Amino acid sequence: MKDSGCFDYQITRRRMLQVSSASILGMPVARLIAASGREVAAKAEHVILFWNGGGMSHVDTWDPKPGRPVQGEFSAIDTSANGIQISSIFPSLAKQMHNCALIRSIAGTNGAHGRATYELQTSYNMDPSVIHPGLGSVVVHEKNRLGDLPAFISINGQAAKSGYFGQSCAAYFIGEPGEKDPYLSFPAGITNVRGNKRLDLLAKMNARSTKKTGALDYKATDTAVKEAVSLMKSPALKVFDLKNEKPETLARYGDSDFGRGALLARNLVETGVRFVQVNRGGFDTHSNNFPAMENHGLEMDPALASLIEDLDASGKLSSTLVLVLSEFGRTPRINSNAGRDHHARCFSCLVAGGGVKGGQVIGASDKDAMEPVERPVKPSDIHATVCHALGIDHEKEVYTPQDRPMVLVRDGAEPVHELFG
Amino acid sequence: MSFLSVIRSTAVVVLYLVALSSFSVFSAELDKYLSEDNMDQGVINVINGPMIDDLAYLRKATIDVIGRIPKIDEIQEYQNWPEDRRRDMLLDRLLDGDGYADRWTIFFSDLLRVRSRAEGGNRLLAYVHKSIEDKKPWDKMARELIAASGSSGNMPSVGFLLADDSDPMTMAGATAQVFLGVRMACAQCHNHPFDKWRQKQFYELASFFGKTKQVESRMSKKTYVTEGNEMKVLWPPERKKPKERFPVEPKFPFPMEDSSVKPDYMQRLMALRSGRALALNKHKESEALDALIDSSVGKQALSSGDTLSALSVSRQSREDIRKLDVKGDLYRKSALRKELSEQVTRPENRYFARNMVNRVWAELMGRGFYEPVDDFQGEVTHLKTVDYLCNEFIAHGYDLSYLIRTIISSDAYAKASLGPDVALEDSESSRAVFASGIKRRMISEVLYDSVVIAGHLLDYKWPKGANVRQIERRVRVPLDPDPNDADELEFDLETDVKMESKKAEPRPYDLEQVISLDFNQLVKSDLDRDLVQMKAISDEEIEAKRMAEMVRKKKSVRRRYKYETVLDEVDDNPKFSSSMRMSTPAAPTHFLRVFGQPSRDGLGEFREHSPSMRQALMMLNGKAVHEASRVGPYEPLHDLLVGETINLVKAIELAYLEILTRSPSEEELSEGKMILKESPLNGMADLRWVLLNSHEFRYLP
Repeated sequence: MKDSGCFDYQITRRRMLQVSSASILGMPVARLIAASGREVAAKAEHVILFWNGGGMSHVDTWDPKPGRPVQGEFSAIDTSANGIQISSIFPSLAKQMHNCALIRSIAGTNGAHGRATYELQTSYNMDPSVIHPGLGSVVVHEKNRLGDLPAFISINGQAAKSGYFGQSCAAYFIGEPGEKDPYLSFPAGITNVRGNKRLDLLAKMNARSTKKTGALDYKATDTAVKEAVSLMKSPALKVFDLKNEKPETLARYGDSDFGRGALLARNLVETGVRFVQVNRGGFDTHSNNFPAMENHGLEMDPALASLIEDLDASGKLSSTLVLVLSEFGRTPRINSNAGRDHHARCFSCLVAGGGVKGGQVIGASDKDAMEPVERPVKPSDIHATVCHALGIDHEKEVYTPQDRPMVLVRDGAEPVHELFG
Repeated sequence: MSFLSVIRSTAVVVLYLVALSSFSVFSAELDKYLSEDNMDQGVINVINGPMIDDLAYLRKATIDVIGRIPKIDEIQEYQNWPEDRRRDMLLDRLLDGDGYADRWTIFFSDLLRVRSRAEGGNRLLAYVHKSIEDKKPWDKMARELIAASGSSGNMPSVGFLLADDSDPMTMAGATAQVFLGVRMACAQCHNHPFDKWRQKQFYELASFFGKTKQVESRMSKKTYVTEGNEMKVLWPPERKKPKERFPVEPKFPFPMEDSSVKPDYMQRLMALRSGRALALNKHKESEALDALIDSSVGKQALSSGDTLSALSVSRQSREDIRKLDVKGDLYRKSALRKELSEQVTRPENRYFARNMVNRVWAELMGRGFYEPVDDFQGEVTHLKTVDYLCNEFIAHGYDLSYLIRTIISSDAYAKASLGPDVALEDSESSRAVFASGIKRRMISEVLYDSVVIAGHLLDYKWPKGANVRQIERRVRVPLDPDPNDADELEFDLETDVKMESKKAEPRPYDLEQVISLDFNQLVKSDLDRDLVQMKAISDEEIEAKRMAEMVRKKKSVRRRYKYETVLDEVDDNPKFSSSMRMSTPAAPTHFLRVFGQPSRDGLGEFREHSPSMRQALMMLNGKAVHEASRVGPYEPLHDLLVGETINLVKAIELAYLEILTRSPSEEELSEGKMILKESPLNGMADLRWVLLNSHEFRYLP
């Protein structure tokens, strides 16, 4: 069971209904895995996904068009990578561009938030018959958990659903990075002694009813409780607390929810967490795009730059893939409300670490960032790329609880091999 | 019929008894068909589960019908009823009570994918609730959902279309899956190799929605569903890159039963309806019209204008609608969708009745006659039983409460699951034929409400100030206060920055917060005002605007913040509400979602029933369970634990009854006494915490 990061207690009802009980007992049901023999070279062990919800303007971030009317209010600035310019809202990040690569030719097909978010987070289009797992769930289904902490943690909001992998591959979420999660300790007023006594009594009580009625039905809940208690008691928990960070470090990341999220992501990855997703909203800038993006820059720039700098310094960058992604870009044309609307046909993302060769740009958009003109990249190619970096065969076949065969990443996806130099 | 009405007149008593006896016969019939089906399939030697006892039955039926565990007075009332009639009397009370509509609104919200945040979402939610409360026949409700035009302000059922932007392809897939239990959406793109549905048939179904369009009125800022002239669904499909594409002729793809023979159940339906219409005719003309429309099954023609009456719009609204209709195209009825709604709900359309029968059966029994419940492939596990339930469901005018009642009063429903002493294979073959019960967990809303009820959390259980303590909280403080702050307060989300030096940061345990919606207010027809947000704006757009505002208003004075930890005083004396009336689905990290409430984004999504670590943490350490466990002075239990009236045995018995609907065993009683020995109040909190966290609490008997 150690080659899956998902907790081993998923028995979905449907699955139970459809497979014979013998096979439930004979093998862990969470392993919906078929054999596969593809070898992939891999350097990455962890992923940090920055999810920018709402559709982040690509022109105002990774793909500036200086001198064109579409450019808007921000200038393009030089970076530590020769010949690569990014938006002036990222002055510190510009100094880390030698560690980062940009993809400027993502060709999306969904212009509505729901559908596009689904595709960018799962690689599939929405399908009425099945819910696909998000990227993080795919990764932790394939890569084992290291240490006590959950393999997949989502900060400042929830990640995509775990779909047919079930709740056991879902993200463990953190609402307020750096704050104590009230659910990870006994309620106020309950001492450890008393809390442990309660747990003992509960175990006794549950053992009695398990003896009377179906052990099978209760087993999965018992496992969940066991995991919960072991997490509550884990020394690794202290990583969630940012109180011990130096004030300078917090200041360097920018003491915002986002900055704390990025700092926590760094610490989590260093503790062994496989996949960290840091969520940020507020990119749906239909009006007043520029002040909004300026503010985004203020919070994102120090956090992203410090994260990459720190990972680089600690040597962890080579095994940690950092991805900054959104569901689509925004229209290069500026609308009458000084905003930009949805633009899926062409947008960009930033990738760093995990074997990615920094200081390069993959693909290119046309002069106004309207269409990809070089090396179009499908959203599913990004998923294949992440899998490739981690040594996961993205074409691996798995089975849903309904025994429907599925491929980890949508058919036809290809890793962007150039990224890895 | 409520039990109380028995007292009112002898005539009613007679009726009541008739209803009672026939009711019992129905359930006996159900069990008879089940065993016949099992015999037909050569099922012999399966192990039968034992029957659950009377109190367990009370618990199970209460949970399934009204969505929470029984309260102590309800337990006592039940025990005082005559033994041979108490289950029937219980179902009378449950199906006529408040909670029934609340609980089954959840069932329909899952089915119809009700989303409060979608356009008209909350109106649709309130409409569904009202429909169940009024015991509206399911076929009528289905017609209202499919055929509605207008804005959600005056025609709440239109929210069903609005939520999917009235897109013909999406609506075709939804119609098949939601109302008929068939997955056709795969045929949208291709002929499925193993499926009997062809792509063309999907297009023909979609074309019933092909003239439907959504118009946003600039005047009223509302979105209307209306009917255009142009058929948008074209054949061949675009992806085949045809030279020319033609409008598709609407055609209902599902085969009907032979309508020339009128079987008994159909005649009973007709009789029921004409009787109902006649009775109503004497009193209320308008409602009689509805009934007549209902009774016009098979009769295709409805004169124009009637649809509006049928959709129960207030007179004022109706007039306004007609005006609009005359003025422009905002509010045109759809002849196509009306036709479709009638085809879908015809009693000859077996798919329609079978879909609901199977879904309700699966909800109450833990497994459908076919699975998944939205994927009928031509076969059911128990043919005679399904036929019987379908026929009776139709004959009883598609009355959901009839269906629930029939299933819940069957022997099959009252069977316990088999214990671990039975070999797993035997256990599985037994439950596959409903010879023993399938263990089900409370769904998230039910779990939440049951904790609230068990812990007396609907009211304050402490005097004010009894639980004051200090907590540390992180707050956001502006680094450079802006002198112009005063005039920014009206828009700035950091309104309370000045007063409290903090923004509305999420507080711990927010994930267990519940805010109820006012369904009565929401369902009121109103053309002028909108009670729900009409234009759906994404959270991200709201956040984006806030981001923009922050800079613009401050004229490039960039505001920066630092975080500080402050001490806050709180009085731990929380009051909780039922989770059944909150906007839905809850936020992704909310208690309800963590315990499996679906996001309802896609058609193929079901409730998740598997346990997770997050769930365990929320029960072990959550606010609701913690507060439910603590014994407050305003609770009945309190006086059994302290002072002159102290009686620890009674206290333990009461706790078991309140939480598990049963008395403790000898072993449990002596264990309880041990727990309470040192400190009765703390010990009782520990005991209740254990009971609330136990498998027995969460899983139905």
